Amino acid sequence: MGRPLAIYSSRHQRIYLGLDRNYIFVRTGASIGRSLGPELWDDFFKGSRLACARLITLVENSPELVPEIRDKLIPRQKGAIRVGITGPPGVGKSTVTAALVRRAVKAGHTVGVIAVDPTSPFTGGAFLGDRVRMLSLIGDPHIFIRSQASRDGHGGLSPSTPYVADVFDAFGMDRIFIETVGVGQAELDVLTCADLIVLVLQPATGDIIQALKAGIIEAADLLLINKSDLSGTESLLESLRFLFEISARPTTIPAPPVLTAAALHNRGLDEAYKEIERLISGHVASGRIREKKRLRLEGEMKSSVLQDLWGRFAALTNAPEKMRTAAENLLENGRSPYPFIRNLCARITMEVRDERTNRKDHG
Amino acid sequence: MDKKAWEKKFRNSGLREADFSTISGRPLEPLYDWDDLADLNLKKELAYPGEYPYTRGVHPSMYRGKLWTMRQFAGMGTPQQTNQRYKFLLEKGQTGLSVAFDNPTLYGWDSDHALSIGEVGRTGVAVDTMEDMEILFDEIPLDKVSTSMTINAPASWIFAMFLANAEKRHIPFAELRGTLQNDILKEYIAQKEWIFPPEPHLRLITDLMAFCADHVPQWNTISISGYHIREAGSTAAQELAFTLADGFAYVEHALRAGLDIDDFAPRLSFFFNAHLDFFEEIAKLRAARRIWARHMKERFKAKNPRSWLCRFHVQTAGCSLTAQQPELNIVRTALEALAGVLGGCQSLHTNSMDEALALPSEKAVEIALRTQQVIAFESGAANVIDPLGGSYFVEKLTNELEEEAERYFRKIEEHGGVVPAIEKGFFQREITRAAYEYQMALSRKRKISVGVNEFVNEDERLEIPLLEIDESVEKDQVRRLGEVRKRRDNGAVRAKLEALEKAAAGTANLTPFLLDCARVYGTLGEISAALISVFGEYQEQPFF
Amino acid sequence: MAEKKIKIIIAKPGLDGHDRGAKVVARALVEAGMEVVYLGLRQTPESIVNAALEEDADVVGLSILSGAHMTHFKRVKELMDKNGLGDRLLTGGGIIPTKDQDKLKDLGVGKVFGPGDDLQSIVDYIRKWRGSQGD
Repeated sequence: MGRPLAIYSSRHQRIYLGLDRNYIFVRTGASIGRSLGPELWDDFFKGSRLACARLITLVENSPELVPEIRDKLIPRQKGAIRVGITGPPGVGKSTVTAALVRRAVKAGHTVGVIAVDPTSPFTGGAFLGDRVRMLSLIGDPHIFIRSQASRDGHGGLSPSTPYVADVFDAFGMDRIFIETVGVGQAELDVLTCADLIVLVLQPATGDIIQALKAGIIEAADLLLINKSDLSGTESLLESLRFLFEISARPTTIPAPPVLTAAALHNRGLDEAYKEIERLISGHVASGRIREKKRLRLEGEMKSSVLQDLWGRFAALTNAPEKMRTAAENLLENGRSPYPFIRNLCARITMEVRDERTNRKDHG
Repeated sequence: MDKKAWEKKFRNSGLREADFSTISGRPLEPLYDWDDLADLNLKKELAYPGEYPYTRGVHPSMYRGKLWTMRQFAGMGTPQQTNQRYKFLLEKGQTGLSVAFDNPTLYGWDSDHALSIGEVGRTGVAVDTMEDMEILFDEIPLDKVSTSMTINAPASWIFAMFLANAEKRHIPFAELRGTLQNDILKEYIAQKEWIFPPEPHLRLITDLMAFCADHVPQWNTISISGYHIREAGSTAAQELAFTLADGFAYVEHALRAGLDIDDFAPRLSFFFNAHLDFFEEIAKLRAARRIWARHMKERFKAKNPRSWLCRFHVQTAGCSLTAQQPELNIVRTALEALAGVLGGCQSLHTNSMDEALALPSEKAVEIALRTQQVIAFESGAANVIDPLGGSYFVEKLTNELEEEAERYFRKIEEHGGVVPAIEKGFFQREITRAAYEYQMALSRKRKISVGVNEFVNEDERLEIPLLEIDESVEKDQVRRLGEVRKRRDNGAVRAKLEALEKAAAGTANLTPFLLDCARVYGTLGEISAALISVFGEYQEQPFF
Repeated sequence: MAEKKIKIIIAKPGLDGHDRGAKVVARALVEAGMEVVYLGLRQTPESIVNAALEEDADVVGLSILSGAHMTHFKRVKELMDKNGLGDRLLTGGGIIPTKDQDKLKDLGVGKVFGPGDDLQSIVDYIRKWRGSQGD
């Protein structure tokens, strides 16, 4: 668990506090409203690509503006399908993404691409190189590519990635491809952020073990074995089949289709794209995508409420400070934390009531 | 005094705070002696000049017999202007020509291609059709002067235009002497000027080797180049290892195509960089000869001793030149050129002092050529063969570089060979890392660049004249190309291009088909397009 | 307040393949904490400006060693202005004679760096420019 996050918005006179970011962001002053004037929105809704780019920068750099921005975006969203492309490093995610995007455009879609690369934990800088592999897409008015550094996100995306997708959706894109950082670990943001997950693997790299750990095999809607011209494709297919037999997947959900491709040689991508579209129509018809979207909203509400409650609670009770002292003591004396937790939780109703009284004082 | 006693005195004598490693970051001892060579069988490792493994030189008499060829790379503006420059250089005592092509030509594009705008004639001469070859070599005796052409991706069809021009002038192919760079592997590794994926390029190279073995026997079909690898920031050992590994890859490809090693290997030549680190560079060049000879004889089983020879051209390091106090570049170039000579090069190019600022002016080119003449005729460096042979330090370094190269060969093998290693970015990553480390060493002043990070002249004013390329060059070239397109027999061009395309889809040797296209004034870009339609284009992924 | 990340496009317009400088500079900028969108070789001015626009980049850095710097810088600058990116920094480096550096300045191009310029001076220049832009 990271340190609590405090966000103060001068515009809303509010403080947001959260547990799941690991920096403190406190902002004051009037400058933040400057570029979020009515002109930006006018331009955006008129289809200005620059306005779209600027709005994305705002959701990336100014988390405190996200609620306000999304208030405006959501009524304009048409429910673009978000396709997550994930997989271990080096399997050719960008090349696959580019190939799928090209086909989506050809099929008449307008496409937003979010390509995430890792932020260096040492320097805070990031090298965003995915665009190079998508050069053939550049300049097409039906495509908008945005590179993102993962910044504080640890699950292969940036914390702002879902909001960038919101911007694209409201801008009129109906397909959004989200290419994650090459990840191997457990925490995978893309699972909660996308409507459809494509897991890209390649033969003979031991990826399968990594993927197993991530549990993403269970969550993937489509498995694409890229570079299938390399040897080892058959044995990878074999171990995948074995994996589905022993998988923890509920028996009601069928194993995802497994396809092979060689994106650099432009092989197998037509089939992959068709399969994606087939899955999308299937999932739309069965209500699965709607369910995913609903679950996403529920999850978001829950985490926002948690953040809000925790924020107010922490501010009023000085809980973080108390927790640190308590933790020190518990460690020192080798005691269980539950009595402290019960004690702290027991104060919640009381503290909330107190706050309400305080608010009246401030008018 | 024994060694221990000396070491003690050495340590107690108050040492300078400085970085004593080579420019490649190789750590150096303060002193080398007989102990360093104790494990070496010097007689076997060195032998005599002209004797296997050729550590001391490829020829028994070396510069006592024939001085190195002084070959200044030149080309700029229109073919007419470059032709003038060649005549000027030959008049000044240069003994061979070296053609620099402009960027569109290097990519196989015509001067009127959309992406050629602003680039025509900038860094070399534009060649679009055989007509440009006619102008470029007008009044130059191609059977007497040897010609080197720095061209890679479209080398085969530029060479076809050259051959077609010789044919038109009734000069037999057998009398043509020169070198085609034609080294595509280092393009993927360092210089980034390719057209197709590696496999079709390798086929074109092998086709040309086979054609020249039969028809143009004095022509060096490939100049396997470390120069650009070094310019991209590699270390000396990387330059050595990657270049020779490329050489082995060409040999393997030709053998797979069924050629006999002793038919083509004698026409393979090399091209190395001469950088600032004097002794390391000499050791690198000596090691190159030894490694190549060993692999050709022992691994590839070549029988003809000419197949074992690593003959090379050397160019001083462009990346060592500075824009600050550019006159100092004359001194740098002189030291580098001396290293090339002491390393036993067959031909040499010395850079001009103004090349960190622009294309070289005539005055600067003359000084560069004169520098070679000072080395050849005044310094005495050419009087004795391999004068540093037997130096504890140089022999030890030669050995170390050979060992490091062998380590790299094993790593490349682990990646599955040169082409897979390119596709995985192995070379590119190694080079980028070395380049970055060197830049950081400069930044932290661990390495000194005079006039740049130390001994800087504040308020420096540039006072050397620079060559400028007139904007009209591009317009002239494009206009002339348009005229050729109108004048030529377009039906014949179409027919020859179609024949080429068909041949490319099969397995025939493509060189005669390229020659046919050149004869009817097919353009560089038309030929490229015909081949792309069969071979496809290569797309690089950047590696860091 | 958390420092805003500087986003910068690094590209090589035109045909020269010498990407050593571009790569070394890109790496130095990443190490200095910036977010670098690397476009690599053979970029047209159109593709560079399109990237700058979609990425909402603060800075566009061009590396040109082919001698075609006047053509490329001019075209990129024109397109940037036309696309509402006139307030972004256009900078770069290569083999660029002093006289041309002055001409580029007149076109509204920022400082251009040459061989021998220190990496830190490039980082400092970009940071300083960003600092002068306000929030």
